[in-house]
Amino acid sequence: MKTVIRTNNLSKVYKDAAAPVHALKNVSLEFIQGEFTAIVGPSGSGKTTFLNVIGGLDKPTEGSVVIDGVDIATLKESQLFDFRLRHIGFVFQSYNLIPVLTATENVSFIMLLQKQPKKEMERRAKEMLEQVGLSDKLDVRPGKLSGGQQQRVAVARALASKPDFVLADEPTANLDTESAFNLLDIMARLNKEENITLIFSTHDQRVIERASRVITLVDGAVAKDEAFDR
Amino acid sequence: MKTLLTISWRNIWRNRSRSLIIIIAIILGLMGGVFSAAVRLGTEQQQYRESVEHQISHIQVHHTDFVANPEARFRIAQGFEIAKQLTEHPAIKVASPRTVFDGMAASANMNSGIRIKGVDPDTEAHTTSLDKLIVEGTYFAENGRLPSVIIGRELAEKLNSGVGSRIVLTFQDIEGEIISASFRIEALYEVSSSRFEERNVFVRTTVLNSFIGDPGAVTEIAVLLEDSDEYRKLKDEIQAMHANLEVRHWADLMPALFYSLEFLDQSLIWMVGIIMLGVSFGLLNTILMSVLERIKEFGVLMAIGMKKTKVFAMVLLETSLVSLIGGVIGLLLSFGMVEYLYVRGIDLSSVGGDGLSEFGYASVIYPEIDPVFYFKLMILVVAFAVVAAIYPAWKAVRFVPAEAVRTE
Repeated sequence: MKTVIRTNNLSKVYKDAAAPVHALKNVSLEFIQGEFTAIVGPSGSGKTTFLNVIGGLDKPTEGSVVIDGVDIATLKESQLFDFRLRHIGFVFQSYNLIPVLTATENVSFIMLLQKQPKKEMERRAKEMLEQVGLSDKLDVRPGKLSGGQQQRVAVARALASKPDFVLADEPTANLDTESAFNLLDIMARLNKEENITLIFSTHDQRVIERASRVITLVDGAVAKDEAFDR
Repeated sequence: MKTLLTISWRNIWRNRSRSLIIIIAIILGLMGGVFSAAVRLGTEQQQYRESVEHQISHIQVHHTDFVANPEARFRIAQGFEIAKQLTEHPAIKVASPRTVFDGMAASANMNSGIRIKGVDPDTEAHTTSLDKLIVEGTYFAENGRLPSVIIGRELAEKLNSGVGSRIVLTFQDIEGEIISASFRIEALYEVSSSRFEERNVFVRTTVLNSFIGDPGAVTEIAVLLEDSDEYRKLKDEIQAMHANLEVRHWADLMPALFYSLEFLDQSLIWMVGIIMLGVSFGLLNTILMSVLERIKEFGVLMAIGMKKTKVFAMVLLETSLVSLIGGVIGLLLSFGMVEYLYVRGIDLSSVGGDGLSEFGYASVIYPEIDPVFYFKLMILVVAFAVVAAIYPAWKAVRFVPAEAVRTE
């Protein structure tokens, strides 16, 4: 099985506060292609920091993050933008779609930045929106969609460009139970069908119960790393 | 680029009222600026036309001593022949030989220092359109017992005289002897400058020359050109042909008007520029507000891999589009306004505009603008918009994606 992400002794210290905050302490993990991993832990345990660091949105204080053989901590800012664009999909807690673009345009947006051919882009965007059950909302802007529908568009956007892995920061936190289950079903199916690695940070037991691997962080360090056959 | 343009365009209309307010501000700023500029330019151009085409002409030729001492004894030798020769020049529309000197006009109860101009009626009509400036009486049509004189309305009021009245003109002959002669006012003329009206009187050259004792006397040749822009070249040419004469163009004769016109374009651009600078701060504020309201959005764009240069360009594009909308509408409305006012004119006589004639300005102003000025303004508007957008755009790319996406 192919290793998608490997972290080596990852540490992150925030020095802005009165006293330095150790958000991550020597985190060494490997994520395999197609894994469905939940990062859990109490507030302040370092879940979001971990996702930010492996997503190239934040730099580690120490250690390395190797994705596809590249230590992303060594990349320059502009290279990092390009790296994120080509390798990583993001799903945010509060959907964060571009409000002036339709569902199709939102899903196409990353592929557009990647300069994919227009026809392929449109086909893929339509396909992804169909996969998340929104084939009747192709030309609808986010403001006219429910929270659950917006998050499904966000999932379609993250997966459309076929990234190496998708990072989702508490994706169900703002959803009602039905929408959350619906979203999780879709993500689980896409995880299997598209063989895309999914890494969630979550408090949500519903997400944890679906994950094939659950990593528990406490005070920035890995307290537990459990695999489940689901 | 097309997507950037689409996003920018849609972003503009996310807060419709705010965008409309700034667009209206740009439109009004431009209209205000163009109106001020058009009034200023129209006024100056009117003064130029009045002064050069109706009063002094493009070029004047004199005896070298005449400028300091405008007397009949400083005549141009063979003046009529020189005027005839100049008229034959292809670049010269007409050259009017005149007998000009200072003198005194007196009515029964008042007198005034004047400049007497002996002119050939036909040639003068072609040179200064004097015949078209007549507001009362006829243009050298009478052959009565007394010779005719045409005077300005201002002088007529000062002398308490009118058409048909007799006045006495006093001047020196070619020997320096004082001569007084009676003239009958045949007509009154009007120009925008009350000082010109008060000071200049016109009589036939033949009459004046017979009084001063030299039928061939010419003290001034006024030259009107086919192309007004050629005045410097023609001046040099005439001067080269007649080195013993004093040749001056209108810019030498009216330096204040020349410099005013010369720097007008620049000063108008500065004036509108200052107005647009004020509008730019409004634009900057609007775009900055819009950027600060979209911190999360910019964070997401950068997180998913949109490069900072594109984010920067997007903000710049939004600002440019707003300014282009305001600029195009503003300039179209300004164009319509100026064209309308150019035809209709702005009559300032009811608000004390008559006093403008003291300074040589007409009381009815016809605003006008060089079409190139609109083009320059469009560039100015977009340039200001881009400069105004730099700070908000810089602010947008300074957001840290990881923090920005979590902003509420």
